[in-house]
Amino acid sequence: MAEAGAEQVRSILAAAGASGSWDWNIAADALRIDSRFAELYGLEPEAATRDLPTATFFAAIHPADRPRIRIAVAGMLAGAERFSKEFRVLAPDGSTLWMHGRGQAHLDENDAPVRFTGLLIDVTERKRTEERLRIAQSAGGVGTFEYSDGFATATVSSEFCQLLGLHPAAVLPVRTINSVLCDGEPLLLPQPGSDAIGDTLEAVFRIVRNDDGSHRWIARRGEVVREGSGYRLIGVIYDVTAAKEQEAKLRELADTLEMRVQQEVAERREAEEALRQAQKMEAVGQLTGGIAHDFNNLLTVIIGNIDTVVRRMDMDHDPRMRRSLENALKGAERAASLTQRLLAFSRRQPLEPKTIDIARVLTGMSDLLTRSITETIAIRIDTDAELWKVEVDPHQLENAVLNLAVNARDAMPSGGGLTIEARNVEVRDALPGGCLPGAYVVVSVIDSGTGMSPETVAKVFDPFFTTKEVGKGTGLGLSMVYGFVKQSGGHITIDSTEGHGTAVRLYLARKQQDVLLEAEERRPSARMGNADETILVVEDDDDVRAYTVGILRELGYQVVEAQDGDGALRLLGGHDVGATLLLTDVVMPRMSGPELASRARALHPELRVLFTSGYTRDAIMRDDRLDPDVDLLSKPFTYATLAAKVRELLDRGH
Amino acid sequence: MIRDSVTLGELERDALTEIVNIGVGRAASSLRKMIGDQVTLSVPAIDIVSQRRAARLISEREAAELVAVRQDFDGAFAGRALLIFPESNSLELVRAVTGESLSAEDLAEMEREALTETGNVILNSCLATIANMLKRSLAMTIPEVLHGNSAALFEIDDAGDEDGLVLFLYIDFAVRKRDIRGYIAMIMDIPSLEKLKELLDEFIARVVGDDG
Repeated sequence: MAEAGAEQVRSILAAAGASGSWDWNIAADALRIDSRFAELYGLEPEAATRDLPTATFFAAIHPADRPRIRIAVAGMLAGAERFSKEFRVLAPDGSTLWMHGRGQAHLDENDAPVRFTGLLIDVTERKRTEERLRIAQSAGGVGTFEYSDGFATATVSSEFCQLLGLHPAAVLPVRTINSVLCDGEPLLLPQPGSDAIGDTLEAVFRIVRNDDGSHRWIARRGEVVREGSGYRLIGVIYDVTAAKEQEAKLRELADTLEMRVQQEVAERREAEEALRQAQKMEAVGQLTGGIAHDFNNLLTVIIGNIDTVVRRMDMDHDPRMRRSLENALKGAERAASLTQRLLAFSRRQPLEPKTIDIARVLTGMSDLLTRSITETIAIRIDTDAELWKVEVDPHQLENAVLNLAVNARDAMPSGGGLTIEARNVEVRDALPGGCLPGAYVVVSVIDSGTGMSPETVAKVFDPFFTTKEVGKGTGLGLSMVYGFVKQSGGHITIDSTEGHGTAVRLYLARKQQDVLLEAEERRPSARMGNADETILVVEDDDDVRAYTVGILRELGYQVVEAQDGDGALRLLGGHDVGATLLLTDVVMPRMSGPELASRARALHPELRVLFTSGYTRDAIMRDDRLDPDVDLLSKPFTYATLAAKVRELLDRGH
Repeated sequence: MIRDSVTLGELERDALTEIVNIGVGRAASSLRKMIGDQVTLSVPAIDIVSQRRAARLISEREAAELVAVRQDFDGAFAGRALLIFPESNSLELVRAVTGESLSAEDLAEMEREALTETGNVILNSCLATIANMLKRSLAMTIPEVLHGNSAALFEIDDAGDEDGLVLFLYIDFAVRKRDIRGYIAMIMDIPSLEKLKELLDEFIARVVGDDG
């Protein structure tokens, strides 16, 4: 090659961006390079003028790329036609340059390769750009595509394939790309016969990834480049499933908002309803309590006066009148018992707890139970031999057991068994529903009746809840039992299985000092008073006061009376009244009974106090029980009960 | 999952791609002589995949029915080689090989023969070059032409007990300025692939020498 000619070729190659050229003579096993190649490889310029060992070709190639290039060159030497490889060259200034080596084999007439020539082109800039693009794509999860109008294939990046779950390839048939779309989606890339492309590529597609079958949302963005009559589409795709899912979640949230608000409102309404019900019950309780109070005053007068008539008149002369009076008395007593139940329901009954033996109470009830329960039901009362003592109001306990027994009866319309047990039970762990660990006597009323559903069990203690037909029950029974047990500091459980029966258990705390205080209940007997015992009667109801004063005078007491607290205090302040006993109503206008009692005691510490009440409310009760120091005579009272109570008080030493 | 013993490393892959490229280069040269016009053939990428995956790779890319030329080989390693085209492309290829002058009837008549011949040249060149470069010998059967979908070509059935692997080569054809894409698939069992890998390592050691 002439020097001038070589120089000319060199400048043409330089202008074309070539960094060097080579000519590998396979037959002679020698390499010729040009001066730019020599410069790139850090060789003396004169190296470009002579044959070099072929190994020189690999000398400046980065060691990591060298084996790959050796293999490619081996291919060329063995008959491959084209060489097109990218590799790094370590330049003499220490920099690393990316080269694209492009070469071809020259064959002889037998197709045997004789020469291998080619060019080195510096692609460092392009490599860096590609690197940035690659990182941008993988880091951003963005896949690129380029599609030319009319072609059946598109050029894509590996990230593109990955996003669609396709096997990585540089070129994919458009049909393959569109095959991942869900039915009914527009085409990701145009296919023959598809609609004309718009001005923008902005769109979102639903796809099923080809590899794992997962459903994804893919967004497409890019540009439409018009070229003559055709166009090119250059764009990117990326996964927007997370955003779409969030969007869907938000939308669902918005859609269900109304429903959830309704639900909240319903819940609130329910709570309000429950509160309203509780308030109603409280109001009804107050009302019934109030009515009971007035009723008891009236009954006191009625019973008292009938009582007086019966005592004063010689009835033997007129048996008819006697029967009439006895019937009137019976009616009044039934009215009194009804009043008592109203008070129990309103949980305002004064309890008079006593230390009792439950076994005795239950045994005492057997007659009553046998009478109340039909013969088709076998009653069994079973109590532990050494039953602990408890402190409860014995009458109310009887009432509760009777109530439960009657309920059990009603649950066994075609007969069955009723068991009433009393057992000593040590509760080690707190029971559900708030029963604390401790020693209890558990009174169980167990039937083999129809049982109740869990829904019913949840409501049985609600006042006025009844499973009985209208007119058959008040719906107050279990509520009264519950009220009594709670008021007594006890606990109640109910177990029921539909078709198998119900067991109600009353947990009554063991009374630790087992001293049996309960004496045989004294039969009230009329015991007379004498004139040096003065009783101050304070009662706002004129009829009740007149009746009370009448009885006391009849009994022989000295009696002074007052209509209210102020009047009473005035009398007590005077020197001529030396009252021994203050008999006062609890609930009075302006000054209550207990207030009067404490002020009266301030004047006369020795003064004894007896309260009378139709109901007592909180006035003289602590923790829903009578204060031990307080004596109470429930209205309506009779001649006998008043006489007995007054005598008892006066005779009781201080 | 493809076990490590048959997974090709980067250099092994390069080497095999290079060897196959020599093979298809020779095939191109033979075809040039056959039809007296420019033919270029290149293999841009290779893969080793399961038979099932190979079938999917093709069905992912080709919606149409396929046509294939099949040849079994035996020697240092054994297997079955397939040269696969989309059916539409095969007629293009036949037309390119036989010249533009043929009528449709003649073309259909010629198809089998032309495909058999072309396939034989390409597969033979590839396999012979591989054997030659790896310094071993391979014996080949007479080529057969098959039609069907990819599952049929790769003998995939519902039982799923096919355990062979496929050396999968994408090839780009350019004949008389027509672009035709096709695939070469070599179905081999694991011992054969292990043998191939071993021979590739020997080849690399020879070529790369100390640079390896």
